[in-house]
Amino acid sequence: MPNYWLNHTDISMTDKVHDASPVPAAPPVANIEFKAALLLILMVVLVSASAIYLMYARGAFESTQELVLIADDAEGVVVGMDITFAGFPIGRVSHIALSSEGKAKMTVDVVKKDAHWLRSSSVFTMERGMVGATRLRAFSGVLSDPPLPDGAVRSAEIPRLLAATKELIQNLNTMTASDSALELSLRNVQSVTEKLAGKSGALGVLTGSDENAKKLYLTLDRANQLLATVDGLAVKADSQVFGKNGVMPETRAAMVQLNGVLSDVRASLKKVDAVLVEAQAVGANVKDATVDLAPLRADVESNLRKVEQLVNEINRKWPFKRETEIKLP
Amino acid sequence: MIHFSFLSALRRLGRIIRVWLGSWWQIVLFGVLVLTLTLSPSTYDRSGRRAIARQIVSGTAPNLLWFTVLSALISVVLIRIVVVTALSYGLSRFAIEMVVRVLVLELIPLTAAMFVALRCTLPDGAELQLMRAQGTLDALQRQGIDPIRHEFLPRVLSGVFSVWMLGAVSCAMTLVLAYLTIYGFTPWALVGYTRVVGHVFNPAVSLILVLKIFFFSLAVSFIPMASAYYDGLTAVRRHRTNLATGLAGMVRLFAVVLLIEVASLMGNYY
Repeated sequence: MPNYWLNHTDISMTDKVHDASPVPAAPPVANIEFKAALLLILMVVLVSASAIYLMYARGAFESTQELVLIADDAEGVVVGMDITFAGFPIGRVSHIALSSEGKAKMTVDVVKKDAHWLRSSSVFTMERGMVGATRLRAFSGVLSDPPLPDGAVRSAEIPRLLAATKELIQNLNTMTASDSALELSLRNVQSVTEKLAGKSGALGVLTGSDENAKKLYLTLDRANQLLATVDGLAVKADSQVFGKNGVMPETRAAMVQLNGVLSDVRASLKKVDAVLVEAQAVGANVKDATVDLAPLRADVESNLRKVEQLVNEINRKWPFKRETEIKLP
Repeated sequence: MIHFSFLSALRRLGRIIRVWLGSWWQIVLFGVLVLTLTLSPSTYDRSGRRAIARQIVSGTAPNLLWFTVLSALISVVLIRIVVVTALSYGLSRFAIEMVVRVLVLELIPLTAAMFVALRCTLPDGAELQLMRAQGTLDALQRQGIDPIRHEFLPRVLSGVFSVWMLGAVSCAMTLVLAYLTIYGFTPWALVGYTRVVGHVFNPAVSLILVLKIFFFSLAVSFIPMASAYYDGLTAVRRHRTNLATGLAGMVRLFAVVLLIEVASLMGNYY
């Protein structure tokens, strides 16, 4: 190629249009049309091969089966995203839409040759990491279960740990909220510690306020005074009770007298006991007598019955039978 | 007095805008002209075919080897930097995607376009301008040979083809180099690599890449030739040097290339 661009760099900008050396004709190249055709073919082949490779890379030549994943939120999921099984991509998200229930509906094209990893009991999860895109993963616990049918609908779950963490964080948020029980308790603890560190100290905490604490102090003082008075009283009572002419010596004398009375009472009771023994003997006699009374009574009763029968017999046979019938005029 | 100077400044501004718009209009006109000739079958008669073939071979073949070697070197260095950096941050799984995005989607097409512009179309434009200055083009016209069909069109087509060819070769080569640099000479990572490439080249990104290379090729080929065709005339009128008109054309070309790149970036990442 003629290098005229460089030939003209030494021309100053103020120069006018000038006559330069004439353009030499390009040297003839042998088989020029063949070479050009070769270049064209090379480019067409290259572009076609690239296009076919890209189509292959995007799974245009793979036979697939459909799987529909339902999730609460499709954030981070994009069309063309992989779904992996044990870290190996087995399918791609081909379509994302909002279902009539207001949930995200992700259609995944699973490659037929890898579809046997998915079973009817497979679980699908959607993970969002701190770095990188959202990941769709499939887990098959029991590989002997029946294979997943074409067009199956499954829910994409958030992993349990993640869900638990989410719940935990939510609970923590609730606990640490400005009007939460923990916050109120902490505030109360703070006020208590403030009172503890204050003038009234722990007494202020127990009584509730400084005024009550003062009242308690006053009460204590009064109790002290009362105790002093009681002490004086106790000294006096001691002399009254245990003194020479106190209550206690006299009580002891009374007790001695009472002892004598009691011994008298014991002797009297012994006498009463003897009387009771005699009374018991009388009672035994009476009992015997009542035992004899029973046949006597039987005899009397039989005699009476005989007398009655006799009277009845006499009444029947007696000529002076009384007329019992009354005749009216 | 102030009123008069304000009016004259306004008039000067209007003239500048008119000239600026006029120059762009000339490029569009030239583009339509060349496109019409490209689509007309009479362009591809025996002499026309030979002229186009000669320009394509002389414009592409020498550059192809040099550019391939150059882009391979730059690619290897950049791939290494990206992979090592990603590895140090523990983000190695994003390294391939980043390499493919940065090199294949952005840098290689831009470099190919600039390389073709600097090595092929801008010198061609200068050559045509020189021919016009020497009266060679007028002489051709007097002989009944259309200079646009026999001198401008083959160079434009050669420029377009060069950008496509260099872009395609270096993109494909960078993909291969990225694989070899990251995984080494093993075929076992090919499936995973293909999958990542498939991820990056979604339909929108592929379309933007194709459109970008297409518009780069148009800008790189049409603007220097249009400048040579029209500015050659005005340069004679305005007594400007070939160098000055060539530099003006180059600035215009770089501005357009920059605009296309910004548009493609916006399309890809917004």
